[in-house]
Amino acid sequence: MMKKKKKLGLVLTGVLAASMVLSACGQSNNGANNGAAANGSGSDDGGAANNQAANDAIDTSKAVNLKMVMLGPKPADYDQVFGEINKQLKEKVNATIDAEFLDWSDWGQKYPLKFAAGEDFDLIYTSNWANYNDQSNKGGFLELTDDMLAKYMPQTWAAMPKVKWDQARVNGKVYMVPQNQSKEFTDKLILYRGDLLEKYKLQPIDSPETYQAYLEAVAKNEKGMTPYGLEASDTKMHNLDKQLLLQKNNWFSVGDTSLAFKVDDAKGQVFSIYDTPEFKDLLTYYKSLADNGGWSRNALTNKGDTTGDFKAGKVASMSHNVTALGGILAEVDKTHPEWKATLADLTPDSHKSAAISTQNGIAIHATSKEPERAMMVLDLLQNDKSLHDLIMYGIAGTNYEPVGDDKFTKTDKYGNFNSFSNWAWNSPLNRVDTTYPQAAQDVEKKWAAQVFHYPLETFVFDNSKVLNEVTNVGNVMMRYGVPLEYGLVPDTAKGLETLQKQLKAAGIDKIKTELQSQIDAFLAKQG
Amino acid sequence: MMTEKRHSFWRDVAKYRTLLIMISPAVLLVLLFSYIPMAGIVIAFKQFNYTGGVFGSPWAGFDNFKFFFQSGDAWRVTRNTALYNIGFMVLGNLLQIAAAVLLFEVGGKWFRKIIQSALFLPYFISWVVVGSIAYNFFSYDVGAINNVLASLGMERIDIYNTPAYWPYILVFFHTWKLLGYGTVMYLAAITSIDTEMYEAAEMDGANVFQRIMKVTIPNLIPTFIILALLAVGNIFRGDFGMFYNVIGNNGMLFSATDVIDTFVFRLLMNTNDFGMSSAAGVYQSVLGFVTILAVNYAVRKYDKDRALF
Repeated sequence: MMKKKKKLGLVLTGVLAASMVLSACGQSNNGANNGAAANGSGSDDGGAANNQAANDAIDTSKAVNLKMVMLGPKPADYDQVFGEINKQLKEKVNATIDAEFLDWSDWGQKYPLKFAAGEDFDLIYTSNWANYNDQSNKGGFLELTDDMLAKYMPQTWAAMPKVKWDQARVNGKVYMVPQNQSKEFTDKLILYRGDLLEKYKLQPIDSPETYQAYLEAVAKNEKGMTPYGLEASDTKMHNLDKQLLLQKNNWFSVGDTSLAFKVDDAKGQVFSIYDTPEFKDLLTYYKSLADNGGWSRNALTNKGDTTGDFKAGKVASMSHNVTALGGILAEVDKTHPEWKATLADLTPDSHKSAAISTQNGIAIHATSKEPERAMMVLDLLQNDKSLHDLIMYGIAGTNYEPVGDDKFTKTDKYGNFNSFSNWAWNSPLNRVDTTYPQAAQDVEKKWAAQVFHYPLETFVFDNSKVLNEVTNVGNVMMRYGVPLEYGLVPDTAKGLETLQKQLKAAGIDKIKTELQSQIDAFLAKQG
Repeated sequence: MMTEKRHSFWRDVAKYRTLLIMISPAVLLVLLFSYIPMAGIVIAFKQFNYTGGVFGSPWAGFDNFKFFFQSGDAWRVTRNTALYNIGFMVLGNLLQIAAAVLLFEVGGKWFRKIIQSALFLPYFISWVVVGSIAYNFFSYDVGAINNVLASLGMERIDIYNTPAYWPYILVFFHTWKLLGYGTVMYLAAITSIDTEMYEAAEMDGANVFQRIMKVTIPNLIPTFIILALLAVGNIFRGDFGMFYNVIGNNGMLFSATDVIDTFVFRLLMNTNDFGMSSAAGVYQSVLGFVTILAVNYAVRKYDKDRALF
C-alpha cells in the first residue's frame, strides 16, 4: 500500500511539474501575441501620424537586417550577388537582406510551418499557387494599406496599375506586393518534334485530332520513345485537360475541385466537369490514345523527368506554358536543330488568359518588426534599375551579359544565380532574353490579342465552410478520375458512372451550392 | 502519515541520487519530446489560426475528425494499415529469428560478418531509392521483369495497374529492408544465452535441430514478445516513407495500398489544415493506445513477467 502511494506521489509530482511548464509555455505564447498586436497597432498609429506630416523624411538611421524566404534551391552565386545587393541596399536605405531558400521538393510542407512555428522572418515569396489566400485568411501576412504603400513604396505605388492591387485583394485587403508585368499567360501548349511530323507525312498539329495522329504515329513506329511525357503525375486531372477541356471550351475550373464555369458566362453558372458531354467525348479520345500507346502505361507512377527525356530524345511531345516551353525550345534548337522542335497551340481560337498579378509576389510577415524598411527594400528591388538587374539576373558580365538597356544574353553561369522565385520582382524593367525563341515570342504576340478579361478573373473560392467535402472530392478525383482519364479503366462508361457516384457521396453538390452562392455574391458586388 | 510519506520519499531521493541523476537526461528527453508535445492534441479540436495560436484558437469540437469518416474510406484504410503492419511484424520477426539462428550456427567469423553486413545494407537505403528500384523492376515498358518476360516471348504484366500484386511486393520490400537490423538484435539475444545450456544439451546428445528448438528458440521468446509489443503500439501508423515512395499517387492501387498516413496526406495535401491533420494523428494514437493496453493485458494473463507494464 505504502509503495503504491509513493508511486502515486511521484507521478503527481511529475504531472504538476509538467503542467507548470506547460502553463508557462502558454503564457509566453500569449506574451508574444500581445507583443505582435501592440506592434501592429503601433505601426498603424505611425501611419496616421505620418499622414499628417507626409513630407517628413523616413528615419533610416538604424541599420536593419531583414530575413527573406524564397522558393527554389539556394543559388550557387548567392554570396557574390547578395553581397552586391546588400552593399547597394545599405547605401540607399540602410538595410541588408538574408535570404533563406525552400527547395522545390518540399517547400509545400515547409511553407506553412514557417508561420505555424512563429519563425522570425520579414519577407516571404507568395503567389496564388503558393498559399497566398490561405495565409492571408489565417493571418500570416501583414495587411498593406494604401497609406503605407504610398509612403514606403512610392516608386511601386506610382508604377503599378491600380487593377493589379485590386487583383491581390483578399476580402478587400491587400497582403502582397504583386509582380508588375502583364505579359504572362496561364494557357498551356504543346512542344513536339517537327522531324517526326515530316517523317510520317502528318498534318501540322493545331487541334486535338492532328495531335492524336502524331502521338499514334510515334507510338507505332518509334520503339523506345514515349509519345507524350507527363508534366506531373500527382495532379487530380489529366495533364492535357487544361488544353483539351478547359482552354478548348473556355472553362475555368475552381480550386482543387471538378467544378467550373464558362468564362464568357456573365452569370458564372457552376457545373461539374465530369457531368458534361465534352468530358465524355474526351474520355473516348483518351481511351483510344491510351490503348494505342499514346503515353506510358505507368503514367500514374511516373518517376521520369519529362523535360530531360525530351531533351534526350526519349519523349516525342510535352505540354507546359509558353515561357517554360520557350526555354526548352531554345536549348533543343541549339543541341538538336535537326529535330525541328515546334510549338503547337491545340486550341488556337479560344480565349486566352493573362496571369493575374498574384501569379508572383512578396508578402510581409505579420509579426515582422521592420515592416516599413521591408517595404522600402521591396520598392527598390522592383523599381531601382541596378538593384532590379541584380536580383533578376545576377552580376553583369558573370551571370548575364546586358544587351542595351532592355535585353540580355544568358552566360554559362546564368543558372548559378537564377534558380529561385525572383519572379516576384517582375516589372517593366525586365530585360528580354535575346535567345528566347522567335516562335515563342510569336505565340505570345498572337495570344496577347486574344486575351479575354472577365468579371470572375479575380474571384477566389473560400473553401473553409466545405473543407471536408473539398478534401474528399480531391481524393475521389485522384482515385477514380485520374486512372479513368489515363485510360487504365477497361470499361470507360462504367468507370465514369462510378466516378460520378463517388463524387456525389463525397459531397460535390454541397461544394457546388457554396461556390455558386459565393460567385453570385461576388458578381453582385461588382455589378 | 503525510509527513512520514514525504520523509521516506526524500530519503529515497537522497539514497538513490546517483541513479536518479543518471536517469534524469532520459526522463527529461521523454518529458520534452513525448509529454509536453501532447498538449498539442488540443489542435485536433480547434479551428487553428495564427493569431490565436495553439491555445487561443476557437474550439471546433469533433469537426476536424469529420473529413476522415465522411470519406467512407476510414474503415478500409484503417484495416489496410493494421493488416500491413501485422504482416510486416509476423513475417519480419520469423525471418529475422531464422536468419539469426542460422548465422549463429554457421561457423567462420568472417563468413558470418560478411553475411551480416550484406543483410544490414538495405537498412541504409532510403525509401526514395527503393521506390526507384521498384520502378525499374516493375515498370511496364522499361522494367527488368517485363523485359525478361518479353525476351522469353511471354506477355508483359501490368504490375503498376494491378492492385493484387502489391501487398506481396510491399511486404517483400519491408521485410528485405529490415531483415539485417532485426537479425542483429536477435543475434545479440542469442549470444547472451548461457553457453552452459548448450554444453549441457550437447552432453545429453542433442543434435543441431534439437539444440535450436529446445534451447535457442525458447530463450528468444522474451525478446520476441518485447519487440512485438513495441510494434503493436504502432500498428495503426503506416510507414509513410515506404508507401508514399513506392506507390505515390497511383490511384489504380489505392484500394490495396492505402494506409491511414498516405490517405490523410493526400486529402490534406492542398488544404494545409493543421486541425484536420492533428485529428488524424489523434485517431491513430488512440487506436494504438487501446491496442497496446489490450495486448499487454493478454500477455499479462499468459505470463505476468513478460508484460511491458
